[in-house]
Amino acid sequence: MDWEVIVSYLPRYKDALLLTLKIGWQGILLAFMIGVLCAVVMHLKIPVLRCITGFYIELFRNTPLLVQLFFLYFALPKIGVRISAQVCGSLGLGLLGGAYMAETFRSGLENIAPIQSESAMSLGMNRVQTFRYVILPQAVSSSVPGLLANVIFLLKETSVFSTISLMDLMFTAKDFIGMYAKTIECLILLVIFYLIMLLPVSVAGSFVERRLRHAEFGD
Amino acid sequence: MKYFVSKRLGAIALALTFLVSSLTGCGSKNSASDSVEVTNNTVYRTVDEIKESGTINIGVFSDKSPFGYVDENGEYQGYDVYFGNRIGEDLGVEINYVSTEAANRIEYLQTGKVDIILANFTVTEERAQEVDFALPYMNVALGVVSHDDAVITSLDEIGDKDEVIVISGTTAETYLEKNYPDIKLQKYDAYAEAKTAFENRNGVAWANDNTEVIAFAIENPGYEVGIPSLGSADTIAPAVTKGNESLLNWLNDEIKALGEEKFFHADYETTLLDTYGADYEDTLVVEGGAITGK
Repeated sequence: MDWEVIVSYLPRYKDALLLTLKIGWQGILLAFMIGVLCAVVMHLKIPVLRCITGFYIELFRNTPLLVQLFFLYFALPKIGVRISAQVCGSLGLGLLGGAYMAETFRSGLENIAPIQSESAMSLGMNRVQTFRYVILPQAVSSSVPGLLANVIFLLKETSVFSTISLMDLMFTAKDFIGMYAKTIECLILLVIFYLIMLLPVSVAGSFVERRLRHAEFGD
Repeated sequence: MKYFVSKRLGAIALALTFLVSSLTGCGSKNSASDSVEVTNNTVYRTVDEIKESGTINIGVFSDKSPFGYVDENGEYQGYDVYFGNRIGEDLGVEINYVSTEAANRIEYLQTGKVDIILANFTVTEERAQEVDFALPYMNVALGVVSHDDAVITSLDEIGDKDEVIVISGTTAETYLEKNYPDIKLQKYDAYAEAKTAFENRNGVAWANDNTEVIAFAIENPGYEVGIPSLGSADTIAPAVTKGNESLLNWLNDEIKALGEEKFFHADYETTLLDTYGADYEDTLVVEGGAITGK
């Protein structure tokens, strides 16, 4: 172990961490929005849109992120659509995540017993009110564990960004190894930086999950 | 709830302790001796061991035409591969070509995934500390290719916002990082991706081995090599795992012996002539490991 090397590499790893987080969060935010939208479409069984959504979900859940990124970054410019590497990263992550989030939200929505909406209707609520005040809050809280798993999954997926020249954590480590061959140091730093990024997410996640459960069922 | 959080934190603490202790453990063990030496004794295979197993693993590029690439029939071809085939023939063993990327060539040797790297590997001081190079078989320098409607003939022409494409783990990358730290590099981890990105105009220029950029400009219309030679003149040589004397000596003898029959000239004429023409033959080929005019 060469500690001097480790210290000299730290700034580049820090930049990589920030870039990974930036693209990661943009992607996850997008994934959330797409996910909710798709889940609502599927749940309310809106014709036509439902077919499109189903196609989107199956397409993105069954192709690797690497392939999606290749398509966005290398193929689209050939037909005149130019997107910067960072936007490609966020967009790719968002589209992939959206498909997973949609499925998670949908299963959350389907978890709600029909009697809930029947009761709401019988109290005089209309469909929108029922959805907004009765179904959605319960669905969100029951899908939180799945959503958090998705968030961590998506942050880890950022490790394929190296193909589109984004200096994320994984690429930084590979790049240093290629230039200076300090393999052990670089890989240990890589593990540590991924932990720095993901441990807080997973701890905070458990906390939020717990609070939501508390709201739902009491302790 | 308190119980839950403390359980979770406990697990994290345990994981961190494990990680840290493994780090310090490995630090103290290796601080005195050279760690590479220690691990490599068990990693590489001697010539006898390779012959016994009947197969040699050679790391080559699969996407760097005309030096190492996979042709339409799925066969490895190119200048490096032509030499690799001869090595297998003379050792009397089967060859298992392993596709490598620029950045993992040293790794593949250090972990024993391949016996020899023949992936257009430029000899540099930094690399020579990690692997052992045999005698050279090709000359190389760096070059920069750009689009022919915006040819870059000097690195000073590159603006603040322009990006230069390089491949991670190549000498071009190291050279530019060291000598031109202000130039923004756009790094890719494979040749194929760097090429596509360059074609898509994601960067103003592509810096790489001059052999590679010249070949690219010849094969693809619309590009011009504005800087045909940059940095120091280097050589390309086969590399083996650090300390693998037996294979290193065998390779050196082989390269010297092949010089007698002008093997690398034949190699050039078979694999590179179509791309470079006859003009570059004496510039590029190193015969019998002897570098002339340097």
